[in-house]
Amino acid sequence: MITLASIKERLRPTPGETWLGLVYVLPIILVMASLVFVPLVTTVLDSLYRIDPMRPGTPFVGLLNYQNLATDSNVQHATWNTLVYVVLAVVLETLGGLAAALLLNKVRHGRQWLLAILVLPWCLPPVVNALVWLWIYNPSYGVLNNLLKAIGLISENQVWFNDHHTALLLISLVHVWRMLPLTAIILLAALQAIPGDLYEAAKLDGASRFKCFRMITLPLIAGGLAIALSQSTVFAFNLFDEAWILNGASLDTRSLIIQVYMSAFQNLKFSYGMALSVLAMIASLLVSMVYVLKVYRETRFD
Amino acid sequence: MLRRHLLASLAMLPLSFAVPAFAPLASAASVTEVLLPPWGTLPKAMTDRLGSETGVTLDTQTLGWDQILTKVATSMIAGSPPADTTEVDWSWVGQFGAANWYQPLNDAIDAATLADIPSAKFFMFDGKLLAVPYANDFRVLIYNRDHLSRAGIAAPPTTPDQLLADAKAIKAKNISQYPIALPLSASEGSATAWYLLTKVFGGELFNEQLEPQFIKPDSAGYRAMAFEIEALKQGLISPAATGLKDVEVQELFKKGDASFDLAGWAGNVAVYSDPAKSQVAEHVAAALMLSTTGTARTIGLPEAMGIPSTAKNKEGAKTFINWFIKPENQIESYKTLGNLPTRTSVLKQLNSEGKLKSGDVILQQATLVDPLFKQGTPVWYPQFTSAVSSALNQAAKGQLTVAQAVAQIAEEAKSAMQP
Repeated sequence: MITLASIKERLRPTPGETWLGLVYVLPIILVMASLVFVPLVTTVLDSLYRIDPMRPGTPFVGLLNYQNLATDSNVQHATWNTLVYVVLAVVLETLGGLAAALLLNKVRHGRQWLLAILVLPWCLPPVVNALVWLWIYNPSYGVLNNLLKAIGLISENQVWFNDHHTALLLISLVHVWRMLPLTAIILLAALQAIPGDLYEAAKLDGASRFKCFRMITLPLIAGGLAIALSQSTVFAFNLFDEAWILNGASLDTRSLIIQVYMSAFQNLKFSYGMALSVLAMIASLLVSMVYVLKVYRETRFD
Repeated sequence: MLRRHLLASLAMLPLSFAVPAFAPLASAASVTEVLLPPWGTLPKAMTDRLGSETGVTLDTQTLGWDQILTKVATSMIAGSPPADTTEVDWSWVGQFGAANWYQPLNDAIDAATLADIPSAKFFMFDGKLLAVPYANDFRVLIYNRDHLSRAGIAAPPTTPDQLLADAKAIKAKNISQYPIALPLSASEGSATAWYLLTKVFGGELFNEQLEPQFIKPDSAGYRAMAFEIEALKQGLISPAATGLKDVEVQELFKKGDASFDLAGWAGNVAVYSDPAKSQVAEHVAAALMLSTTGTARTIGLPEAMGIPSTAKNKEGAKTFINWFIKPENQIESYKTLGNLPTRTSVLKQLNSEGKLKSGDVILQQATLVDPLFKQGTPVWYPQFTSAVSSALNQAAKGQLTVAQAVAQIAEEAKSAMQP
């Protein structure tokens, strides 16, 4: 007869197993500590000092860097732009990714080929991706102008990045084009884990397609959805390549991470850049936490 | 048990890849690492000759101009050398000097050679020579002779008003849709073009006390920006210029789409005149910079090579720099890479041999080169110039008036100067 005591006895590690367990987790502990936790802690600490190679010493300045960030008009511009990127990217990637995943889930033949095509933009290096779109948006010979002229929507070439709002939208679209496949794959994996019996039972009970989607699909992919939303948010907060390559340091499209780069590596005000990167990280963490707390549900089919 | 040990070994395997990172790095004393932009990257024939003449073997890393600053900054902060010799742009002198990142070269170059390189003064910081110029970048007016003659214009313009009139004439005859090539993007090339035009309009950016001199409507800086915006509004500059960097604008000139490269790099006269690189090679000519005062002032933006204080092979680096600035190597660098020689004697020699394109103009303009900052490049230059390019770009897009743009620049300059 199995008792609680016998289970505990069986689970108790034997001599030698403890160190073996430690050995198993040691690589990931070392990698995470050296590449994530130590740099994170040093970045937070350094943001409280004045680290500027052009001035002697590194005095403790407390929250001065953070106070200065609050009144920096460039940071305000970059923050607003980044919020627009995040909202557009998360909404478009989630809706588009869900639609693509639902379609792929219905496909029975050749799904692997469709998947391979879908992930292509995600496989491209971000810089290559942005350069391709730079050519598409080019005001003189770009495909976009030629296409819109061919179908009669515009009569003369447009300089797309001369308008602030259009520029933000176009850069967001490039980012969405690259990141949407990842969202689609995460949601497709979640969709494929839903047992078909549930839909059959719902059908027998007379549930419509929309009701099946709302009552079965959405709740059962909530875990995947939270992960997809979190990754979309984090990547949109970290948007750099697309904005930098398509429109350089222009204030119209400057993201927070571009501002970090300019503060730290052009103006050489390292601790100021660190403070901004800490704030950007906290913001993306907070938003991601909302998804995890509000959307994520552990899914069990047993 | 055996299986467990096998699994444990597999788990530890990834760490073994990190072990070489902690091993002492092998160094080859005879190899000199250089970090330079594409126009400083020597062709194989030159590196082979360097090896045979000096015994120095180059290990060349080629990076974009702004990426070099990032690499130098991160390496120096980490206390490791970015290379034995690196690019040093005139605009980095204030930062690098204040940070004490580069080894003084006053004693590494002989006095006669330094006297032959007038732009060396741009790289002095507190009496220390931080780098030795190898590319003599100053600005001249480059124009397409064919466009001008077809428009019935006998001589290149000498004033901003004449330039506008000539550009209108060229546009009216459909010779060029946008005759003036000038960058207006949020990039360094746009900012330096404005600095140049400020000189053209007879003024300075700052006075001796570093107070902005470009805010009043009658100031040179204000008029220079108004001139750029007016030329754009009149359709003499391409509306796409708001997204184009200087090198992209130069492509417009090379293709024959533009008639004037208003802020032309002096060294580019040779590039534009090369049929392999330019479609307008036989029509290119240079003229003295425009002026409103009678003196064709221009700005010097030379590029140099320096030795980081953390460099491993400083002797190799010194040998390389001294070799590169020898007259015969400056001439070869001009022919193969388009780097205008920094030695006055070499410029004169090339001109006397008829090998310097628009040589008389280049030599005359070289004597009228002003530094952008008489006090030396300040440490806050990168923050200031970033504000200039952003505000100019916003004004070109119609988001700011000229008055708002110069006020924004002045405000940012004040903030950048704060300790």
